[in-house]
Amino acid sequence: MRALVKNGIGIFSPQGFLDGNNNASFLSIEDIDATAKLNVDMILVSLKKVIFFNRNGLDAFVKMFIKVRAAQHITVGFCDYDSKKFTAIRKFYRSDLNFSLFASQEIAELFASSYKNQNKNVLLYNEDKSQRSAMAIELHDKGHNPIIAQTEKEFKEKSTNANAYDLIIKDSFLGQMGQSIATRVTGNAIIYTVSSFLDAEIGNTFNIAYHNNSLNVGFRLFIFDAYKVVSMNVHALNFFSKLSTSGAEYNATICFVGMTFEKTPKAFKETLEDAGIMFYNQMDDILQNKELLEELGASSAAAIANKRVLNKVMVTELPNFIDATVATIEMMTNSKASKEAVKIDEIKIPDTTDKIASSIGFYGDIDGMVILVFPKEIAKKACELLIAEKTDDLELILDTLAELVNIVGGKIKTLLSDQKLSVDITLPRTYPNVDALLEIAEKRKGVQVDLTFNNDKFLFFLTR
Amino acid sequence: MITKNIIDSYIEKIPPSPKALKETLMLLNVGELTKASKVAQTDMALSSYLKNLVNRPIYGFKNEVTEISQIFGILGVSASQQAVYNYMISLLSPSKWKLFKLNSSSFRELQAELSRRWKNILEHLEIDNKDIESAITLLPASIIVSEALFCDKIKDINLLRSVNPIDLNTVLMRLCKVDLFDICEQIAYKWEMPQQIAEIIHAASGVKPAQDETTNLLGKWMHLLLFYTLSQPMFIEAELNDFIDFQIDYVGDIYDEFSQVMEIE
Repeated sequence: MRALVKNGIGIFSPQGFLDGNNNASFLSIEDIDATAKLNVDMILVSLKKVIFFNRNGLDAFVKMFIKVRAAQHITVGFCDYDSKKFTAIRKFYRSDLNFSLFASQEIAELFASSYKNQNKNVLLYNEDKSQRSAMAIELHDKGHNPIIAQTEKEFKEKSTNANAYDLIIKDSFLGQMGQSIATRVTGNAIIYTVSSFLDAEIGNTFNIAYHNNSLNVGFRLFIFDAYKVVSMNVHALNFFSKLSTSGAEYNATICFVGMTFEKTPKAFKETLEDAGIMFYNQMDDILQNKELLEELGASSAAAIANKRVLNKVMVTELPNFIDATVATIEMMTNSKASKEAVKIDEIKIPDTTDKIASSIGFYGDIDGMVILVFPKEIAKKACELLIAEKTDDLELILDTLAELVNIVGGKIKTLLSDQKLSVDITLPRTYPNVDALLEIAEKRKGVQVDLTFNNDKFLFFLTR
Repeated sequence: MITKNIIDSYIEKIPPSPKALKETLMLLNVGELTKASKVAQTDMALSSYLKNLVNRPIYGFKNEVTEISQIFGILGVSASQQAVYNYMISLLSPSKWKLFKLNSSSFRELQAELSRRWKNILEHLEIDNKDIESAITLLPASIIVSEALFCDKIKDINLLRSVNPIDLNTVLMRLCKVDLFDICEQIAYKWEMPQQIAEIIHAASGVKPAQDETTNLLGKWMHLLLFYTLSQPMFIEAELNDFIDFQIDYVGDIYDEFSQVMEIE
């Protein structure tokens, strides 16, 4: 079974009946491992569509959970159940409950590192006092406002005013939480989460290839969420200094948020500042400050030092890239595409009105970046299949467009692997208009293919 | 990915039901078991299918049953009619399954299990109607239709489902405004199956409740039975478990009764 990964949470959704005979068929350790490799910070099994389960049915999952958590330091457990199912699980496991339970996916998201600082007002109650505090601390840590009901009576009273809260947490349980470097994108900033002691190990856990390719795709602002960092040693200091200087040629900025220097030498801060790293106390100091965010995160073509040229492999694989893109858009819009012109030059977009764009990078045996420029209408149409409704909300369209481009990226990855070329893909970046795109792509040379989908012009650009 | 034209041409290509089958069904309909078995014998594929079907463990016969007349005699009119419909549906199944990891034997197993358990359910509900008994045979047609329409699009479907958890029925509905169960209905019409069968199958999709109370109730039982059966390791491994969406709320009110009939502890 495959997991769906969203907001840093991998969710498996079995349907029907779950017992000791069939659980191994639903989920194998390989399925879980494959999901864990996608940099998720939680792996959950949704019980939403499970009408019957017994302890044997859950046991095999729990065994796998514990194994994966030990190896990958991620949060594991079940989600999406009603009170009856929650009581049953509590009864099955009693004091052995060492995994997490979240009544809904929304509640799980509150505890995921990839969904921090959304500033949600959360009402919570748990009859176990230590659970109550643990949840409140975690929520606070993740940038939400927990409101704790001390008694069930108080909880019931407060719950009646449901509008006052973004979410109400009940029937949930925090097992051992995981910790890993999680990556997420807010606006156009990439946020990495680091915790506890930062030492030479950071060189192994930090995905440098991913970081470099994010730079290449046009991300310029990298924030290290360091609220949970206890201290840093000289090896980590060197690592971050180097990371910052190597990003300088892209005009990239690295910020640390919430880092205290109680147990780390003060001189380290100065060294890091000399390397160009900025320090902020609160995530909101950056994320809520639109001007600053724009200034730091704006793509800038000012100093792309390594102007790389297309090479033979890329040109040989060009048809694969185009096929993957065309096939995906055709699939999503149920329309036919035709190719109009192909040229190797800098990107040229004749008509820039009502266009949105997205880029996705790939790296591995070959590396580069695909840029797609869509008329808003095609993007909207393609999104209908994913969200099942027509919408004019630009943010929603851009989000869904990112998913679509993710599909294109996935398809390119499969097609290239058929050619024995192994690549990984970056997160997609979206641009609400052509100007924003041109800031990073204007001077780059690449292959431009003009395509038409039912009379709508569509542009594909492959560069390095 | 899939267009209305592809669906139309698929329906177009479904062959009319063979003459011997039509005659067998007609004779079974009027209760002429002996005459029906004689006609059925003329169709070698049908007789071999029937033998294979009734000798499966779920039917629980001690000795091997080999004669068609014997088979019809043991099964009785409604179960015989159901068996013949099961055979008709299996005619549509592909020689090699690509989307689902099934083969002709596991598909027959699915048919046999659904049929057998449906009989138990109808006995529990005290419904004695051979058309309703036969309705279950059309349910696996939804699996065959999915296979036929999506088998060349496996990679696309997997990519799509890696970003959005949608089932095949919803994909089809959003792309072509037609769902798997509409196509099953078309098959039922083409093969002149009774109208009620198509109606129950529609309700069994779980997304289109029927107006008629009895039909809707039968749809609920069938929807739950489908997922009970698809929760078996064999069918989970065949990747059938999530081909359509399980509507847990739709069947909530009959679950306790269902678990008694199926003896779920």
